[in-house]
Amino acid sequence: MADLVDSMLDLMRRLPPTRTEENVTALIGICPEYADDLLGSVDQPLKLRTDRATGKEYLACDYNRDGESYRSPWSNEYDPPLDDGTIPTPKLRKLEIAANEAFDTYREMYFEGGASSVYLWDLDDGGFAGVVLLKKTMTPTTPHEPSGSWDSIHVFETAERGRQAHYKLTSTVMLQLVTRKGSDEAEEKGAGNGSKSAAGWKHEGEVSLSGSMTRQTEQDWPILDSSSHITNTGRMIEEMEIKMRNLLQEVYFGKTRDIVYDLRSVDDLEKARRQRELQKELVGFIKR
Amino acid sequence: MNAAERIDAACSFLLQSPPGEINDVLNDVRNIISDDDSLHEGVLPALKEYNLTQFMTVDVPGTDYQSIISEAARVAATPEAQERFIDPRSKTSFSFDHLSLEASDSQPAEPDADSEPFRAALEKATLTYLSAHFHDGVASIFAAKDSTNKFVIQVVANKYNPSNYWAGRWRSEYTIDLNENDIQGKVLVNVHYYEQGNVQLSTTHTISLSLPAAVVTSSPSSSASKILALIEDEEGKYQTSLNDTYQEMGEKTFKGLRRALPVTKQKIDWDRALGPYKLGQELASSKGMFGNS
Repeated sequence: MADLVDSMLDLMRRLPPTRTEENVTALIGICPEYADDLLGSVDQPLKLRTDRATGKEYLACDYNRDGESYRSPWSNEYDPPLDDGTIPTPKLRKLEIAANEAFDTYREMYFEGGASSVYLWDLDDGGFAGVVLLKKTMTPTTPHEPSGSWDSIHVFETAERGRQAHYKLTSTVMLQLVTRKGSDEAEEKGAGNGSKSAAGWKHEGEVSLSGSMTRQTEQDWPILDSSSHITNTGRMIEEMEIKMRNLLQEVYFGKTRDIVYDLRSVDDLEKARRQRELQKELVGFIKR
Repeated sequence: MNAAERIDAACSFLLQSPPGEINDVLNDVRNIISDDDSLHEGVLPALKEYNLTQFMTVDVPGTDYQSIISEAARVAATPEAQERFIDPRSKTSFSFDHLSLEASDSQPAEPDADSEPFRAALEKATLTYLSAHFHDGVASIFAAKDSTNKFVIQVVANKYNPSNYWAGRWRSEYTIDLNENDIQGKVLVNVHYYEQGNVQLSTTHTISLSLPAAVVTSSPSSSASKILALIEDEEGKYQTSLNDTYQEMGEKTFKGLRRALPVTKQKIDWDRALGPYKLGQELASSKGMFGNS
């Protein structure tokens, strides 16, 4: 029933990103037997949790989940505790600790706040895979200040080939921006412009831009020792996030705005039409 | 989930459909529920609600234009007669199939003689406004069902471009109450961009305005064009203010969430970011060397 999962994924690509969690829950309710397929392929906003041992914040997603418990990258402990929770092999855990430190630096330099987590796991064919998670939320101090959140999910797989390693990276960024506007502010502005008709109107509204975009890349990088995997994936993820940030900027602030202007024109279309006709007439007149 | 809960979930999915994608959502839902018989009956109320709230447009039989399907257009069903929808412009009513979106059984519908002159004046002014500012707009103007001297202007503009993975819808509704001398309005914009992703713009904007006495006491045609001039001004300002909001979100929120580059204006030096680990490894390997010697 691959096409059933396809239908569910197609549906999730169409429904509002602000309601992803609610809709995934409903789909799992309808088809409980596909819960794992769905949770594994639909990216959901990352949940912020606090490591009980270290007090540090970490991010929860399907990749550090075992049953109902989530593993912290800082203490390697499950919460709620699990006796037989899946943990990386000691060698991979060492790399995971280093990766968490490196991406914590990355997070601070680009996000200046928020939280990050890296989880690694062994693959059956000898290689390993991992996920780098980053999240930042901005909560407004006043109701009319914009709020927003950024969630990055970078999933990678790697296989060593001699002194080279092949990397497959799938990156998803979820971005949500909300602005509320109230009457007071609009009236202030209207009064400031000295506009007569604006003064009588009362306005209230909300603008919400939300969604996610996904991109993939495959690259080969040289490896000296196991730590090369961190520098290699680090460079790839940094490059990818820079690319995706530009893309998001273009789609969020360019494309969606252009579509609004494709629906309605601020300028008078009739006037423009008449002007074009007049111009045509004039050109015809001159030619004669 | 029992059968009723599954239908509820299906209805909720349908009501969340982005502009122009209700059929795609319906296809997905059919596949997921895989019980066409109960689905068909079950989702009909949701399809109807979607059509009414989203200002679905319909080709009016015997005309070359479209009208809006909405609560204001709905003529409530009676025990004797099925639910019908009215197009005041052609003065006809018709049955509407909420699944195929087609009108049929068109019949003449006599307007209320008292309200028709003002409604017709509003219609004329609205259609002029529509062609001045909307690329593919449809407008319907109704005399309110619940009160005389009350009118509803509805405007919808859709653009569907599935081959380039985007769609958009602009809806405006204004209730003009000549008893209270005010206008209550709302503007709703939805945009879906879904090339390798799912990005949605959703805006709500509610407005209210007291009508100046000069507007109310004029002749229907002069009063109507004054009302539309107010609406034109307000919608133009709103569209421009959306630009400001975009800029604010781009400058403040977007930049505040993630910088384009670190403060150093340079990408990360990953070897340095790895510092402690590298050092640890070197120590471990040198220890090994001592151990061996």
